[in-house]
Amino acid sequence: MDLVLQLLFTGIGIGAVYALVALGFVLIFRATNVVNFAQGEFSMVAAYLMVVFAVDLGWPYWLSFLIALGGMALLGVIFNLGVYYPLRHRSFLPVIIATIGASILLANSVLAIYGPQPQVLQGWFETPGIQLGPVYLDSQYLLIIAVTIALVIFNYWFFEHTLLGKKLQATSQDKEMASLLGISVSTMIMITFIYSAVLGGLAGILVAPVLFVSIQMGSTIALKAFAATIIGGFGDVAGAIIGGLALGVIETFGAAYISVPYKDGFAFLVLIAFLVFRPQGIFGERVAEKA
Amino acid sequence: MKLTRRDFAAGLAAGLAAPYIIKSARAEGAATIKIGMCAPVTGPAAESGRYAIQGAKIALEAVNKAGGILGKQAELVIEDDQTTNPGIVLAFSKLAAQPDIVAFLGSIRSTQVHAMAPDVLKLGKPVMIGGTDPNLTHMGNQWLFRFRPNDSYSGRVIAEYGVNTLGKKKWAILHSTDAFGTAGGKALAAALEKLGCPAVLDQGYANQSQDFTPVVLAIKQSGADILGSYFTFENDLGIFARQLRQLGVNIPWVGSPSIVNITALKLAGPALYNTFGVADYAEDSSDAAKAFGKAYRDVVKVAPDNQSSWTYDAVSVLSAAINKAGSTDPAKIREAILATKKFPGAEGEYNFDQNGDGLHGYNIVKNDKGNIVFDKHIEFTD
Repeated sequence: MDLVLQLLFTGIGIGAVYALVALGFVLIFRATNVVNFAQGEFSMVAAYLMVVFAVDLGWPYWLSFLIALGGMALLGVIFNLGVYYPLRHRSFLPVIIATIGASILLANSVLAIYGPQPQVLQGWFETPGIQLGPVYLDSQYLLIIAVTIALVIFNYWFFEHTLLGKKLQATSQDKEMASLLGISVSTMIMITFIYSAVLGGLAGILVAPVLFVSIQMGSTIALKAFAATIIGGFGDVAGAIIGGLALGVIETFGAAYISVPYKDGFAFLVLIAFLVFRPQGIFGERVAEKA
Repeated sequence: MKLTRRDFAAGLAAGLAAPYIIKSARAEGAATIKIGMCAPVTGPAAESGRYAIQGAKIALEAVNKAGGILGKQAELVIEDDQTTNPGIVLAFSKLAAQPDIVAFLGSIRSTQVHAMAPDVLKLGKPVMIGGTDPNLTHMGNQWLFRFRPNDSYSGRVIAEYGVNTLGKKKWAILHSTDAFGTAGGKALAAALEKLGCPAVLDQGYANQSQDFTPVVLAIKQSGADILGSYFTFENDLGIFARQLRQLGVNIPWVGSPSIVNITALKLAGPALYNTFGVADYAEDSSDAAKAFGKAYRDVVKVAPDNQSSWTYDAVSVLSAAINKAGSTDPAKIREAILATKKFPGAEGEYNFDQNGDGLHGYNIVKNDKGNIVFDKHIEFTD
């Protein structure tokens, strides 16, 4: 039982990281109908921004955190104007390829500045974790889980109970209709990119003390987060969260009870199973094509 | 003048032979002796490439101060291998096209050495390497000479130290599932079998794992009293080390060279205190290692590691071999390198075997609160 509880905590912790990044995928997909393959690199860039301000410059952690998130908001603006906006009238394929190109550019730019060696970023807390009976709770994972829960509540409130949230929802559902109702579609898409970049950045900053800061950290998480969005139902906020958590728990238990080397395989096995038997995901609605 | 058939044949022969004679004469008669070097100047390993170049340059400076090679000053010609296999093939072909280069330094990465090996064989000139895949010197390429102990020794040294020095018999083996980790894990398991202590857990993991909780719990449940490991990437090592300690596993741990790597020490911090590692370079292991450490620090201002020590030794041994051979003829250089015995290098004492392996053992070092301290050297003669 001790083993199960320990694995469950770790699985939920890792799953929460996937969920945070998956949330960014979903928000951009809902607003623009394209998948942003640079979402993982947003996490990586934010983590490196923390290294710049909190480690290299020695600024207070909270200040570095705010500046890093501010930097991510700016990156969201640049990304929207430089990658999405020029291609907004094209089909989804050129935009997806542009996001892949942008992810390569971001990764190599950071590589050129910082080199390939991973960096260390301290966590928020002095205490690395607490022992609760037989289970060790890593303080950073506790924080990640808490932030994920807070974001779920915030997203619900924001999208369902604020005018801006409703405008964003309207834009994601039907751009032409939203435009006819006087909503500035380009502004809404800009806001979505900013929010997604900040979310991705938040995930990167939170996970950096656990996984270290490296060029690959974003792509590794993003791949799982992408699988999580498909499992949860592409375009569904609750689905991204549930998909992420489920993936974290499945791969942790799979590694413990079946095979460690094939840990990543379990995540993608579940993904394939969903694509075959339930392509719309857990929360997605079935879309039928008319003959 | 009448051109006879004999004159024509002689002229033709002279014409065909001329380029080779000129090439050879240029190498022998050149103002300097040139040594080619393929190094990662760009790409993911650019940082370690800088160390490798520094090590070679420090050795070359010492050689030149001591009179040079065959009475001439020696010179390093560097080409960027871009840390890729195609990159090193291109870099080597550029160097190989220069006939006055008498010998070369290849890569520390086995995969890159494998990529360039066919061209090395075709060229037929000595190439010093740092790749540790045992096959490199056992695949019929007589022009490869290794300046680090190969992987078959690391497993034996880890087992030998854990069983006979630390007195531990219940082993857990943890290794990455790539070529390096799998070969290392197998070598360690085989060595433990030979010592009569088969591993109670032999666990592989995929590179770039974000979580090692299941692995740590498996080690805990196995009842192992010692851990032997082969980690490829330092960030995996760092994450595992932290989780191992957090989950209360404090058994002795003897790891492959990455456990004492500067990056790993930085990432894992106290989680790696009191662990042991095999290291081909340990500053306190010999007078030659100390001398190199001092020379390197004076120039580079940081502590050296195996990225620079093997190139330092390669240039030192190669220069001595050419001087001993008295010629830049590739076959004579080869014979002189293979005849090198009891040569005191930074990495250890070089005793070349007929395969081209210069070193046959490893140093064991201990992480003493973040400082890497030499413990003992274990050498094999078989």
